[in-house]
Amino acid sequence: MGVTMTDEIKHGDIILEARGITKRYPGLVANDHIDFEIRAGEIHAILGENGAGKTTLMSILFGLVRPDEGEIYVHGKRVNFRSPLDAIKLGIGMVHQTRKLVAAHTVLENILLGHPNTSLILDFKKAEEEVARLCDRYEYKLNLHDKVWHLSEGEKQMVEILKALYRGARILILDEPTSSLAPPETKKLLETIQIMTKDELAIVPFITHKLPVVLSVSQRVTVLRRGKVVARLNTREATEQLLAREMVGREVMFNLERVEVERGKAVLEVQNLSVYDEKGMKAVSDVSFSVHEGEIFGIAGVSGNGQQPLAEALAGLRKAAEGRVLLDGNEITRLASMERWKKGIGYIPSEQRAVGSIGDFSLVENILMSYYYDDDYCKRGIIDAKKIRARAEELIAEYGVATPSVNVLAKNLSGGNLQKLILARVLSRHPRLIIANLPTQGLDVGATEFVQNKLLEAKKAGAAILLISEDLDEVLALSDRIAPMYEGRFMGILPGGEAEREIVGALMAGIQQKADEQ
Amino acid sequence: MWEFWVRSLNASTIFTVAALGEIIGQRAGIMNVGVEGAMLFGATIGFIVAKTTGSYLLGFLAGIAVGALIGLLHAFFSVTLGGDQVVNGMGIWILGFGLTAYIGYPFTGPLGLPRLPAIAGLSPFFLVSLALAAGIWFFLFKTHPGLKLRSVGENPSVAEVSGVNVVRTRYASVMFSGALMGFAGSIYALDYNPVWNYNFLMGWGFIALALVFFSMWNPFLLLGGSILFGALWQISLNPESLLPNIFSRYIWRTFPFVITVVVLILMSTKWFSSRWGAARPEALGLPYEK
Amino acid sequence: MNIAGYKIQLEKKASFSGLEAAVLSILAVVVALFLVGFIFLQAGVDPAKGYAEIFSYAFINSFGVPLTLNRAIFLLLCTFAFILPMRAGLWNIGMAGQLYAGALAAFGVAYAFGARTNPDVPAGIVLPLMILAAIAGGGLMGLIPGLLKGKFNTNEIVVTMMLNFILFWVTAHMIKEGGPFMGSGGEGEGFKLPAPLQPGLFVGMPFTIWFALGLTALLQFVFSKTRIGYEIRAFGASPAAARYAGVDPFKISVLVFAVGGAIAGLAGYHYFGTVPGLFKIPKNYGDFGDLAFYGIICGLIAQGNPLAAIPLAVLFGGLTSGGRFVQGKLQLGFGIDYAMLGVLMIILVAFQFFFRYRFVLKKEKEA
Repeated sequence: MGVTMTDEIKHGDIILEARGITKRYPGLVANDHIDFEIRAGEIHAILGENGAGKTTLMSILFGLVRPDEGEIYVHGKRVNFRSPLDAIKLGIGMVHQTRKLVAAHTVLENILLGHPNTSLILDFKKAEEEVARLCDRYEYKLNLHDKVWHLSEGEKQMVEILKALYRGARILILDEPTSSLAPPETKKLLETIQIMTKDELAIVPFITHKLPVVLSVSQRVTVLRRGKVVARLNTREATEQLLAREMVGREVMFNLERVEVERGKAVLEVQNLSVYDEKGMKAVSDVSFSVHEGEIFGIAGVSGNGQQPLAEALAGLRKAAEGRVLLDGNEITRLASMERWKKGIGYIPSEQRAVGSIGDFSLVENILMSYYYDDDYCKRGIIDAKKIRARAEELIAEYGVATPSVNVLAKNLSGGNLQKLILARVLSRHPRLIIANLPTQGLDVGATEFVQNKLLEAKKAGAAILLISEDLDEVLALSDRIAPMYEGRFMGILPGGEAEREIVGALMAGIQQKADEQ
Repeated sequence: MWEFWVRSLNASTIFTVAALGEIIGQRAGIMNVGVEGAMLFGATIGFIVAKTTGSYLLGFLAGIAVGALIGLLHAFFSVTLGGDQVVNGMGIWILGFGLTAYIGYPFTGPLGLPRLPAIAGLSPFFLVSLALAAGIWFFLFKTHPGLKLRSVGENPSVAEVSGVNVVRTRYASVMFSGALMGFAGSIYALDYNPVWNYNFLMGWGFIALALVFFSMWNPFLLLGGSILFGALWQISLNPESLLPNIFSRYIWRTFPFVITVVVLILMSTKWFSSRWGAARPEALGLPYEK
Repeated sequence: MNIAGYKIQLEKKASFSGLEAAVLSILAVVVALFLVGFIFLQAGVDPAKGYAEIFSYAFINSFGVPLTLNRAIFLLLCTFAFILPMRAGLWNIGMAGQLYAGALAAFGVAYAFGARTNPDVPAGIVLPLMILAAIAGGGLMGLIPGLLKGKFNTNEIVVTMMLNFILFWVTAHMIKEGGPFMGSGGEGEGFKLPAPLQPGLFVGMPFTIWFALGLTALLQFVFSKTRIGYEIRAFGASPAAARYAGVDPFKISVLVFAVGGAIAGLAGYHYFGTVPGLFKIPKNYGDFGDLAFYGIICGLIAQGNPLAAIPLAVLFGGLTSGGRFVQGKLQLGFGIDYAMLGVLMIILVAFQFFFRYRFVLKKEKEA
């Protein structure tokens, strides 16, 4: 176990070295001769855009993927990982972006799962004492017998870190460690990893966005672009602008152009709305707001604070427990979703593949999802195949969906192309109200820009837009008004132009005193 | 009255053992709707081997082994080929139903061996089923392999990154699960009712499947459910002993099936699922691809 | 695997053509029949001879051909009863129960008009009523799992299977000793329909063939051209996405099960009410229920395509009727047709894999 090695490690020793790591996939070189080394007691950030090869590199370091070429040395010895177990045994721990925990099991069961030295019959008592000691050291407060699904995102991350440490990890790979954390949780994480470096652990965060976080804590930065290392810097020498330029390969504009539109009459009015989730818990409580013509109303918050149930309730996919919803002054609280589409609501769901599209259907039949109930395309219950096909071809050209033909199945489209298709389907109905739930999640820079511009275009054309986003920058840049959401409630409604990042960030983390509510 | 309860407990034994098998498989994320098929194989092969060799032991071993083989087949289809587990399970059922009808036909009739000893009419296998339920509970919740098995059923990708071999765990679970189903079938054909007849199970396997949903994947709750259904089954076979002259004997035979549907409906209600719904293994029925 | 600088790889299929699907389906049937050949061998019969006997009885012999056709009509109806829910992603394995319900309802109408004892019934009224009753009976039986699925999301496999057993015993109650439909012979059979209620043949075939063919065309049209067909397919491909698109899950599950059940009910009327030599619910009605499971196999091989189900229904109709025949003629054990059912099903399950993957030959790349 790694624990026994502690004594021999000195600050600055090279623990892990990678030489010439190369991994090819059909039509792309994901990692192209990557070299770097990780030293004890340092925070070494790896930076890169989506598609720069970060995920592949991480998977190789953790034994999930085997490189085509290249060598990895741990403590100077050449190693060959066949599975994560090999990596774990050599003291490599990984904290995934999408939490790799069994939700139905307790914290302790999750920490014990797969531990190489666990006895056949589990000794919960002994394990509990040992884990509690780790918790004390890093100032974690956790009930080890809680089921994981009860925990907040930050707590789940703590469990993952504990799990890795309990297995004796000397190197902690953190995949987008701050992406789903509220600002105070991020602060806590950064404090903790600094304590860890004092214990000569090496921390390797892989990061796409949130450059300030990188700059504030790391000692060294390696930047990847298109599978290659393009820069190795000491953080002291780096600036945000410099890192962004290295990542993208060109100057990056940090500001989106705002579109000022005369605000019209209210399209959506929500009065004291409450919604329950599938576990029977109140997920949205007593929310009231309105969205007007030519307005983007942003809801900022970390996922899981009720945004999804709110969006689904407005789309008619989830029952409203209390309160009223009005569209253009008419009550729609109890209407089925189909009636809402007909009245001019367009919903862009966050789950593109599971909800927003049907993978086994062609692009034409996917477009048909928003047209089949329209008598122009479906007379007396019979679908006008020619007309819908023509419409699909037109939309695919207009939205620049890259595909050889409209007969391709939707599951074969990339994330960005699929989102364009969904956008085309929804926006082409010219909805009065657009509900966009995490519309740029997981998209690359180009597709993100496209989606944001389409929303701005719709705003210019007079649509009312409800934008739900985890990305504070996006909400601040696009919204006319912003409602930070925390545990099912709006923490206030702020004017977009003047809203300060710090205030919105604090509100979405549930910190109230700083805000002057409207 | 004692006799009624003895018959009920003896019947419950078969439900318990088969459904324990299904629980093990489902806890590892693999659903086998072909319980009846695996049981038919275990019953028929066990019966033929015992009848031709005159040895109960060989009969049971053969029944268990063929059940494990059926489990292996299901694991191959569901884990390696990654097919739809419902389709695979239906395949197992129809294969069992069709092939055993053909294989067993020449052996139609009674077993012709001295009956296995019983304790005041109570089958020794009832005690075996109690021990199995307790043993499986301990295995699932108190041991590391049990924790691994449950994790594989809840979230295989998490188990994989934690260093658990998902494929191996699922294969082992589904084979063990099949072995128990085969065992249940041989208990039926060698002890409970040692007469071979075409398609003699008449739905026991499907009731065992329904019992798993009822049990919330917990061996002890399952035991309670099995005993309840064992009693129902007895009432349906001998209604005169408890409630004479109400329905014809044929209508009584529908009784366990009607109750199963009613129980399923109760379990599907919001009230029930909001309290117990979380017990369902999250990855149940989903093929795992790295 | 490497052969002479080429690499055989498995690849996930992005899509597959209708032709590819047809070839694979035929291949699956051929492989299954090949394996059943070993059962012939084990029983001491030359497989080639066995199959020659089966096929010549089923498709040439003047006694066998009508039997094959009657079964094909029956299987086709059972297949449709399965396909309709299948396209919506739901499993109807309750064709047996639904067809018993349909048959009981049809005979109930005849019974109500006194046909059990009095041969003079107004056929012009009673016959159409019997057909309607069969449709309604099967439909009601299908409505149960449909409603339960739509309302409570109850597992439809277990419910439909339970209903099979329930209806099996209800049928026994109706036709066996003391039951209202008991035949005069006292042999545990239903009463025989009197001559006016025995519909004549149409070119040697029961008139129900028109129902089967009409349904083929109708289902084909519904699935490919209509709004409701689109809703059913969308729900089958992705329930969450379909719900989002405005499809009502309750409506879909009730509709597909009720209509599926109604079609199975019609199958029950067809076999027990229109086939010469029967015109009653026979003692071995359970065999017909078991035969209905071929509907699952037909539906799966046809990939839910109604047109493709026709040749399959004819093939399996022939194999089952021919199988029973050779059993007697070649002194094979009982149940060769059941064994065939089992082997076909499991091979089909194995072939699922090829519908999703394909082998590709790739030139080894220089490292």
